[in-house]
Amino acid sequence: MLMQNIKLSLGPLLYYWSRDTTLEFYTQAANWPVDVMYLGETVCSRRHELRFDDWMNIAQQLTDAGKEVVLSTLTLIESESDLKALRKIVDNKKFSVEANDMGAVHLLSKAGVPFVAGPALNIYNPDTLALMASIGAVRWVPPVEMPRTMLMSMPVPDNIQTEIFAFGRLPLAFSARCFTARHFNLQKDDCQFRCIEHADGLDLNTREGEAFLVMNGIQTQSASVHTLAHRLDELNDTSVTHLRLSPQSQNMAAIIKIFRDTLDEKISTREVKAKLDTCLIAASCDGYWLGKPGLSMGAG
Amino acid sequence: MIATNNLPATQQSTVSVAIKKMLGRLPAYPATQAFVTAFNLTVWKKLKDLDWDGLYGKSFSVVIKDLPMAMYFSVTEKGLRALKTTQPDVVFTATFMDLIRLALRLEDPDALFFNRRLLIEGNTDIGLRVKNMLDGVEFETLLESFPGMFGKAVMFARKKLQHRRAQ
Amino acid sequence: MIPIMDEVFNARNDNYYHLRRACVDMGQGDLCLARFTRHSVFSGVAMAGTLLELICPAGSLPALKAAIDHGADGVYLGLKDNTNARNFSGLNFDNKSLAEGIRYAHNKHRKVLMALNTYPQPATLARWQQAVDTAASAGVDAIILADPGLMAYANKTHPELRLHLSVQGSATNYEAINFYHEHFGIQRAVIPRVLSLPQVENVIRNTPVEIELFGFGGLCVMVEGRCLLSSYACGDSPNTFGACSPGHAVRWQQTPKGMETRLNGVLIDRYADNEKAGYPTLCKGRFEVQGETYYALEEPTSLNTLELLPEMHRLGIAAIKIEGRQRSPAYVAQVTQVWRAAIDAVKNNAEHFRAQPGWLAQLDKVSEGSMHTLGAYYRPWK
Repeated sequence: MLMQNIKLSLGPLLYYWSRDTTLEFYTQAANWPVDVMYLGETVCSRRHELRFDDWMNIAQQLTDAGKEVVLSTLTLIESESDLKALRKIVDNKKFSVEANDMGAVHLLSKAGVPFVAGPALNIYNPDTLALMASIGAVRWVPPVEMPRTMLMSMPVPDNIQTEIFAFGRLPLAFSARCFTARHFNLQKDDCQFRCIEHADGLDLNTREGEAFLVMNGIQTQSASVHTLAHRLDELNDTSVTHLRLSPQSQNMAAIIKIFRDTLDEKISTREVKAKLDTCLIAASCDGYWLGKPGLSMGAG
Repeated sequence: MIATNNLPATQQSTVSVAIKKMLGRLPAYPATQAFVTAFNLTVWKKLKDLDWDGLYGKSFSVVIKDLPMAMYFSVTEKGLRALKTTQPDVVFTATFMDLIRLALRLEDPDALFFNRRLLIEGNTDIGLRVKNMLDGVEFETLLESFPGMFGKAVMFARKKLQHRRAQ
Repeated sequence: MIPIMDEVFNARNDNYYHLRRACVDMGQGDLCLARFTRHSVFSGVAMAGTLLELICPAGSLPALKAAIDHGADGVYLGLKDNTNARNFSGLNFDNKSLAEGIRYAHNKHRKVLMALNTYPQPATLARWQQAVDTAASAGVDAIILADPGLMAYANKTHPELRLHLSVQGSATNYEAINFYHEHFGIQRAVIPRVLSLPQVENVIRNTPVEIELFGFGGLCVMVEGRCLLSSYACGDSPNTFGACSPGHAVRWQQTPKGMETRLNGVLIDRYADNEKAGYPTLCKGRFEVQGETYYALEEPTSLNTLELLPEMHRLGIAAIKIEGRQRSPAYVAQVTQVWRAAIDAVKNNAEHFRAQPGWLAQLDKVSEGSMHTLGAYYRPWK
């Protein structure tokens, strides 16, 4: 796809922000140059600042503002109440859904609801991708570790769009254990919702003081911010139709504008890195795209 | 979380103490040569068909930390070759008795590692590969390579150590 | 035949899993299935194997023999490449050792399961499919898969081949498990080590698929198949490379400050001389968070659920899996021996089962960090 035709998506909010902060964020987002918005809680079932009805309200407002809205499901679905929440999303009747678990895929395909196959579904090869397309996936997000070369060698069916994770701290792992609660010596079931104090996660450094990971409840993320802004011209001859930008607490409007301007060739890929660096909350990385360790930053 | 007992301290017989004293007095290179010669005459016959590709020419060091003594050797298509001091690709460090117990398959290398009784430094991949390759050879197969009386002596020693561990 | 089944039913209808097992044990699975399903919460029950099978790791032929000789009902193994999640140098099976291993196990009426539980990639998909063919022609009793595309291939190409869902498939709920069952005929699922036992029970009540749980060994604190920590640091992940913290990226070094473990240069931990060490996996390292240095994600420990065996038996768990294909035959022998005794004791008399101190001591000796935990099966761990 030509660079100018690539759409921007605002990924689901991975952190736990207060109700007011979240509402304000999406009020502003209605005016940003993004095409698709993913809404809903994908990380922790205990987070409840916004309920299902709140997300539906936001979804409606954003739809009215001309955005395509997708409701995202939880990534780790363990309990019957998690499934209940999932069924509610599947049955929403208005919006398409991003499936982040094979249980969600099962319910969506049975219900005949078109869905986005999320990055945690582990779609690494053409057979699995074709299978997903045949049961209702209209867009897929490759695993965040998939390098460009692998993506290039992947035959993508015509009826499915490709969205890659192009900006943000990388979601790397999910656990039954809550690392934020553990840090505060709390049980997960009595976590006091301490995630809310860490708008971009809780930093984890090596014993040599290097920023390494970020703890976001049961999710572990990269400390470095993954970005492909300086490599957008490499997308010209790929199957990529959408870029996912993952929300961070600061400068999101500026970041989105930089990406849009680069796609529109108002900013060159050579000068974009310096511009983007001023908006980052941590060092940047792009190793996964190059088939290297995710934390590395390629030259040039 | 349940904390548990350490592995029992390695028990040593007077025989092994005597062997250790003897070895400890030997200079490293002749001791390595003796070890390499014995190795090539016996177990190498059973090991030479393993997948050594990529390991030829690599150098190893076994440090027996309680003697103390360091042996250096490399792998060739004809077996091990003793080396004088070198910068080895990989270094295994353990006590004399732990090395014997590993050789007799009485000890799990990972458990020794967790308990800090086995250290693998240098090229970890080569170290793990050698560990895994040797684990893949049955002890009985190795035993066949020893001359009759010696094989019996090895079996006897193994049973004795096994019995001691069970106590 | 029917009266016998009636007798079985009347005696044990308090627990339909026992009935199901009784049917299987008596070789009357199909005969009593119709009767049985009337009383069960679902139809089309999968019937195979023996309740609480002991499935043990085999990284090599000697390990396979050690497992069989010490009482494993089955072993699981992989080929010498990244088609399985223990792709470590010098480990695993080639065609010759595979044939010999299968012969050895089948002679003693035990099973061989082959793990093909990594994710094929566009350039190498054919190699994964060949591995499925190899497994089928070698005569393994089941293959353990994670990738849906590969399941579709296996199901189509070898419809008689039994399929298990690997823990790397990250199925943590019954809707996910039923997806694999309905699309590919998966007959057993290995559940990630993140569910509590009540959650496992809920899964069992809502799926016809047999459930296999981890009993002992290295504990993944993350959901298997959904952890990229290794590739973030060193470029290789279990999903594609088949190993977490592969040897080529690991360095251990004794320094004046202690023994350091690094993964591609990233300091995982530094151990004082008297401290136990763990595997060089990132989740078990010590890190600094808000000025405090500790095991931020998980201590180096092994999972040990021996004490939960009666409960697992009551729930109708099909099999207990022992982790550790990377371990030595000595480990396999010791662990298999203990679990065989424990499972026999539970089957013999579940009510009076007690985990014997001798068993626990023997397991602790080979545990990572020489500690053990009940993991997520035990709620407060969460």
